[in-house]
Amino acid sequence: MELSDWELVQKCQLGEIGAFQELVSRYQQKVYLVILGLLRNPDDAMEVAQETFFRAYRKIKSFEGGSSFYTWLYRIAVNIAIDAQRRQKRNLLDFRDNMDEVFEEQQEVAKDPFADVHEKELREKLLSAINDLTPEHKAVIVLRTLEGLSYKDIGDILGCSEGTVMSRLHYARKKLQEKLRAFL
Amino acid sequence: MKLPGKLRTRALLFSFLGILTAAYLGAAETASQAVKIKIDTILASNQNGEFDSRLKPLEKQLKLLKYKSYRLLKEESQNVPSQGNGSFQIPGGRTLIVSPQDFRDQQIALKVRLQGSEKPLLDTTLKLQNKGNFILGGPPHEGGVLVLAIWATVQ
Amino acid sequence: MKSCDEIRELVGAWGDGELSQAEAEAVRLHVEGCSACAEERRQLDKLNVSIKSVLASQQPIAFEPFWRGLERRISEKRSWPAGWLDRLRMPLGRPNLAWGIPALIGLALVLYSLGVWKEQTPRNNFAAVESIDAYGRNVALLRENETRTTVIWLYQNQEGDNETSGETSDQSPAF
Repeated sequence: MELSDWELVQKCQLGEIGAFQELVSRYQQKVYLVILGLLRNPDDAMEVAQETFFRAYRKIKSFEGGSSFYTWLYRIAVNIAIDAQRRQKRNLLDFRDNMDEVFEEQQEVAKDPFADVHEKELREKLLSAINDLTPEHKAVIVLRTLEGLSYKDIGDILGCSEGTVMSRLHYARKKLQEKLRAFL
Repeated sequence: MKLPGKLRTRALLFSFLGILTAAYLGAAETASQAVKIKIDTILASNQNGEFDSRLKPLEKQLKLLKYKSYRLLKEESQNVPSQGNGSFQIPGGRTLIVSPQDFRDQQIALKVRLQGSEKPLLDTTLKLQNKGNFILGGPPHEGGVLVLAIWATVQ
Repeated sequence: MKSCDEIRELVGAWGDGELSQAEAEAVRLHVEGCSACAEERRQLDKLNVSIKSVLASQQPIAFEPFWRGLERRISEKRSWPAGWLDRLRMPLGRPNLAWGIPALIGLALVLYSLGVWKEQTPRNNFAAVESIDAYGRNVALLRENETRTTVIWLYQNQEGDNETSGETSDQSPAF
């Protein structure tokens, strides 16, 4: 019979690394995809995901089960990711290497105006628009849309009220709609 | 390790003098300064193979764009105060608005808007090395495209 | 009775199932009777579907290498910046530099403010582009290493960039 998260946590607190490995296997993809949604760069997301689980391992004895394990875990992940975004000085815009790439892309856009290109453009525009949001607004969009978390859970993770989650989501969605008006 | 009294006094004195000097020099760098913005408006096309000799300093940069000919249409400079707006008329009813925001560590922070006749075409914020330039291009004009070489120099 | 503006603020939360029963009912009744707000609901649904599909389509990672990396960290029992902290702990030198230490501190601060020992930026012409908004048009950024040039290229959109004088270009690349 599959153990619950809390049962696995209790085993971890007794030093059973196998129980922690099971928790990692349950949440590694979810945590990684949430972080990737926030950071966009897969290498950075991988680093932050590993750091998340490392910190969770080190702090596991302090987890008392007051919240669910996944909200506790996501809280660690989102905090590290938001800090990483704030520290990131490098430009997150994608640069091409030469003008051939720039012009080839224009040719593709000009040749085929139909669904495939539209989808590709929408995807890129959407990722770019999400990335332009502040870390806090990006976090609510990713946690709600990708993970389907409740406002209460999102508030627990981000350390804010449900009302704040609601207004941040409303603002973030408005911003995205404005930027993507032509595509949606 | 606790420093002995005399040493501590001297350390404090020198540090204080150093901090005052650093603060003065730092303030001098970041105080609001005018920035000279220079725009070279260039027509790039494949209509003939002529390279305008006035664009010699930009030749290597322009060759990146792979057009056959480059002609300087206009050159204009303005001294724009920090937080002010420098407005440059661009062919085709367009306007380029450049607003210096900050100058720190030899980097000039700029806000740049390319405005069409009815609505904005592009907004960008960027940091440029003092006396450096960047290229903004693409708007069509007279069978070619406009290329703007934008320079910024702190005065 | 709520206005359209008030309803639009609640449509997102209503779609998320986060309103109270009374509020949800009020929003539902309004949306059923108001085509503008119904359209707002549709647009929001489209947006949510698009966001989810874009975020969920990103490449997942394999568990084994992830776990191996994590296990290594755990066995080393240190967080990744801790190594850096260790290297920063330099042993203190001789304490008897009565003039040397304060002189060095003062000199260091003055030199730092003059930028003498700051890493001299090479004649780096690259522009650090922090944000771009092309109002729905395609835009590309190019950074060329040899000439250290940053290029921002605004594509003409497919309908022809006729926001000014209706002029288009027949030059490749298809402007």
